[in-house]
Amino acid sequence: MSSLAMRPCGDFRTSYKADNTIFETSTIRLVTIMVIALACAAPLVLDGYFLTLFIQISYLGIAALGLNILVGFTGQISLGHGAFFGFGAFASAWLNTSFNIPVVFCIPLAGFLTMAVGMMFGMPAARIKGLYLAIATLAAQFIIQDFFGRAEWFSGGASGAMAAPVNLFGFEFDTDLSFYFIALFALVFMYIWGCNLMRSRDGRAFVAVRDHYLSAEIMGVKLNKYRLLSFGISSFYAGIGGALYAHYLGYVSAEGFTIFMSIQFLAMVIIGGLGSVKGTLMGVVFMVLLPEVLESMVGLMNYTPWGDIPMVTDGLAYIKEMAIGLVIILFLIFEPQGLAHRWGQIKNYWKCYPFAY
Amino acid sequence: MYKTLLLGSTLAGITLVSAGVQAEDSVFVGHLADMSGPTAFVGKPYADGVRDALAYINANGGIDGTTLEYETIDYAYKVPQAIASYKKWLSRENMVAMQGWGTADTEALISFAAKDELPIFSASYSGHLTDPQGKNPNTKKPAPYNFFYGASYSDACRGLVQWAAEDWQAKGGQGKPKFTHIGANHPFPNAPKEACAEYATELGFDVQPPVVISMKPGDFKAQCLSLKSSGTNYGYIGNLGGSVQSLIKSCDTVGTDIQFMSNIWGGDKLVFQAAGEGVKNYIFPTMTPFWGDDVPGMALVREISKMSDASGQEPRLHHYIRGVCSTYFMKESMEWAKANGGITGPNVKKGMYVQQNWVPKGLEGVCLAATWSPEDHRGINQVNIYKGNYNGGDIKVEKVNQVTLERRVDWLGY
Repeated sequence: MSSLAMRPCGDFRTSYKADNTIFETSTIRLVTIMVIALACAAPLVLDGYFLTLFIQISYLGIAALGLNILVGFTGQISLGHGAFFGFGAFASAWLNTSFNIPVVFCIPLAGFLTMAVGMMFGMPAARIKGLYLAIATLAAQFIIQDFFGRAEWFSGGASGAMAAPVNLFGFEFDTDLSFYFIALFALVFMYIWGCNLMRSRDGRAFVAVRDHYLSAEIMGVKLNKYRLLSFGISSFYAGIGGALYAHYLGYVSAEGFTIFMSIQFLAMVIIGGLGSVKGTLMGVVFMVLLPEVLESMVGLMNYTPWGDIPMVTDGLAYIKEMAIGLVIILFLIFEPQGLAHRWGQIKNYWKCYPFAY
Repeated sequence: MYKTLLLGSTLAGITLVSAGVQAEDSVFVGHLADMSGPTAFVGKPYADGVRDALAYINANGGIDGTTLEYETIDYAYKVPQAIASYKKWLSRENMVAMQGWGTADTEALISFAAKDELPIFSASYSGHLTDPQGKNPNTKKPAPYNFFYGASYSDACRGLVQWAAEDWQAKGGQGKPKFTHIGANHPFPNAPKEACAEYATELGFDVQPPVVISMKPGDFKAQCLSLKSSGTNYGYIGNLGGSVQSLIKSCDTVGTDIQFMSNIWGGDKLVFQAAGEGVKNYIFPTMTPFWGDDVPGMALVREISKMSDASGQEPRLHHYIRGVCSTYFMKESMEWAKANGGITGPNVKKGMYVQQNWVPKGLEGVCLAATWSPEDHRGINQVNIYKGNYNGGDIKVEKVNQVTLERRVDWLGY
């Protein structure tokens, strides 16, 4: 089936293998490869501003995919994802400065450390769910955040921690341009891994736990194991994202890894589409670009003769903040299944054109 | 299809901005401000000060004829937006210096600024920004391109502690006075915690375990009771805004007998107005005089204020005046840079080291005399100590003392 260029009308799959492919058609595979190739060549035309936005999308995207695995695929909830992201950032910096482990190894190690912490805080998931679980993970947010402020040996306390740039064979990835490739590689790698995870036995177990935990248990899926594993994988992704963030900035401060960050991650996966890998990325792109686009519109006002006075620009700044909230609400009303769903509809529209039914 | 429309307008918005116009002879100064985020309470007046000063400089000949292009971005205290704005200015606008704001953005940009050789003038006064070469072994991250106008949080707290020691003697207090740090467990209130406790111990204080209160307003009666039971005589407040108001009110209800001393962001007329009766002999530091004070430099500050308030009636907080000072130090170092090889980041940094006991022209009596050197970014080592009283709505602020701290080597960078 996977050799077909277009998807046939109706689902005719004759083997599990066909049901499990990452790329449903050869066109999708080709487009994906081309997009990655284009992304590799993009720095030739993009300036530092776009590169930094892309890098932001990468590290936030990796962490958001983790949250989507937990929330969208396993049906659990976490309000502590921002703290796990921060833990990964500090852990990687700490491993590098305290044990002199090269940064390239620190990043995955930080992922595993965060995974351990995430599983510890995910333990209540074995017994509670829904709103109760949300509050239990909220505790993780506050405990870890407080830990950052106090644990001088780990996070440097008030003065923060230093994170060396990625160094590979003597080459320092300390500019936007060089770090762009690290970010791109990490993004592609982690997303392919995420896709593959969902095709595996474990991934299907996650979905089973989400859809009907009782049936899943009757079928022999160990609920506790998979709930905990889901927390672990989700934190692993958060840790990797956080570690990339740390080595990009070169400096980690306990500021920023607040409950707002956790909620922003939730907003990303909800806007992108719960239970969709590509939707996650769409949600992240949307949430990163929205304030920038609104900001640039405020910036444009400065070039108009009446817009360059503080009253107008300040007013617009407030409108900008409100607009972000407004857009999110509109999305929840008109697109509750996220951008991934809308993307599917757009594709269907063109596929069936002009005979949409 | 409105998704496609949205996408189209997104792309259009981005490309339009990239085509920003540049004036003939101009340099760009970025300005990050928090006017709608968690620190907006003091972020707004400070940002107004910076912006009005930039506008005034342009209206009066710029930097010896060079116009300052500037853009104010309200990043709402969000680090990712601060980084994106910084990168945008750097790659598109040829930025030569930046006026920053709080702990969050300043710390996130330390390494970028050092790498890009771009001076950042922040309103984050953390002590660890003052060690540009990492001379103190305690300094984790040297911040060679970071400057700020004012005493560091640690130095201001040391000044307050010094005042408290004198006050204790003057009052004829017996035994060791007790000192407590009050603030959230957060980099900003924590910045002076250790340094200040160390100096307090040195001066013979009995330092109590710190009391944690949230950055957000709330009911802090429990914390006030623990302050009361520990018998704290002097309490340093590390928070700002609503949290400070709540603390004063809660402690007034509980009836603590404690001498509050706050950090520079925790004391101004708006706070006293809102906190009400609890404000009794509230001690706070400033780096500038107040709006109503009669010093020569205030004439210029009032002219600058007219840039956004034509009537000249709006009373400005001392945070506003500090914003003006920060901008004017940058302006004069740019003037030096222009005369010595052109306005570039490294030259502006060099310009900061040229003068000793430096007061920007026209701001005499407003900005304290500052000295920056390549090894020591503690520009100001003076702390003006003021006392605020509520008196049933008639807010009275009077100067208590001026403390000059020695530039001790072991205090550099923390």
